[in-house]
Amino acid sequence: MVENERAGLAARVEGRASHRDRRWAGRTQRDFHHGLLGHGARGAVAAVLVVAIGLLCVMLLLPLTASTSAAVREITLITRDMAFYLEGESEPNPTIQLRAGEEVRFTVLNRDPGLTHNLAVEAWGLETRYLKTEASTTVLVRAPARPGRQVYVCVPHEKMMRGIIEVVEDD
Amino acid sequence: MKLDTTNWSGEGTFTQTLIDALDAVEQVALLRVEDASSSRSDVEFNFISNELFLRFGTRDRQVRAKMLGIVPVTRTVTEPVMTVSELERALCEIDGVGPPDYADAGMLQYLRTERIVPPYQTRGYKLVELVRIYEVGSESRQAPDDV
Repeated sequence: MVENERAGLAARVEGRASHRDRRWAGRTQRDFHHGLLGHGARGAVAAVLVVAIGLLCVMLLLPLTASTSAAVREITLITRDMAFYLEGESEPNPTIQLRAGEEVRFTVLNRDPGLTHNLAVEAWGLETRYLKTEASTTVLVRAPARPGRQVYVCVPHEKMMRGIIEVVEDD
Repeated sequence: MKLDTTNWSGEGTFTQTLIDALDAVEQVALLRVEDASSSRSDVEFNFISNELFLRFGTRDRQVRAKMLGIVPVTRTVTEPVMTVSELERALCEIDGVGPPDYADAGMLQYLRTERIVPPYQTRGYKLVELVRIYEVGSESRQAPDDV
């Protein structure tokens, strides 16, 4: 009697378990067939592909950008105390020497409190916007192919903020 | 007011006006005047740049506080009797000085320009005088790598 009851209980437990397993198996299979997992897998594959292509592009383009930036010379001019200074130097309105045909990126940073400055080279038709304190701007220029001397100024203070850009022969 | 002009050449009439004005402000305890390194001149201009460093007098003030958030204590705080912005207002009302061309929490800047035509000359030159007043101990605005 007791053994029969135990056997019956075991059969009921087994029956529940197998019913649950069947439900789970049925759901995963159904989900798979209905594309829920399929969408996820396809999305993951697409994401991996996009990332891989992106990385490949970056790896291919990186040397190219590095070689471009190396070719452009960077010159930072700081305006302070009504004068231009090369970054880290103390000579006011210094003579800037460029090689003929050289590509130069000028960055002008205004460190003069309460004063507005800019950079202009009339001979090159170059004039930056007016900069308020702590503002900066960048211009990319190519030095003339022939040697010569041009004047650079700050337009509002051209009597005091004036220097020479000297273009020399490229070696 | 204690005045130190040992590092000043004496150039700059507006600088002298400012020194006289600051001498009249009783809250200023110390004033040191120096030629700025950026002073320079050329055929067409004379740029005089001077820097004035000042320290205000101080007063002690009792402040109630709680030690460890529990025990009430009284602390003595020493603070300046004037701020730079209060000095700016005081100088505005002095004849010959007026409002600064630029001001911030630690500095007042005055820029004066005039054309000087010496006798028997027609063009003359431009005289530009830039005077900056700093409160001693306020943050410097020059980067360490800049001279």
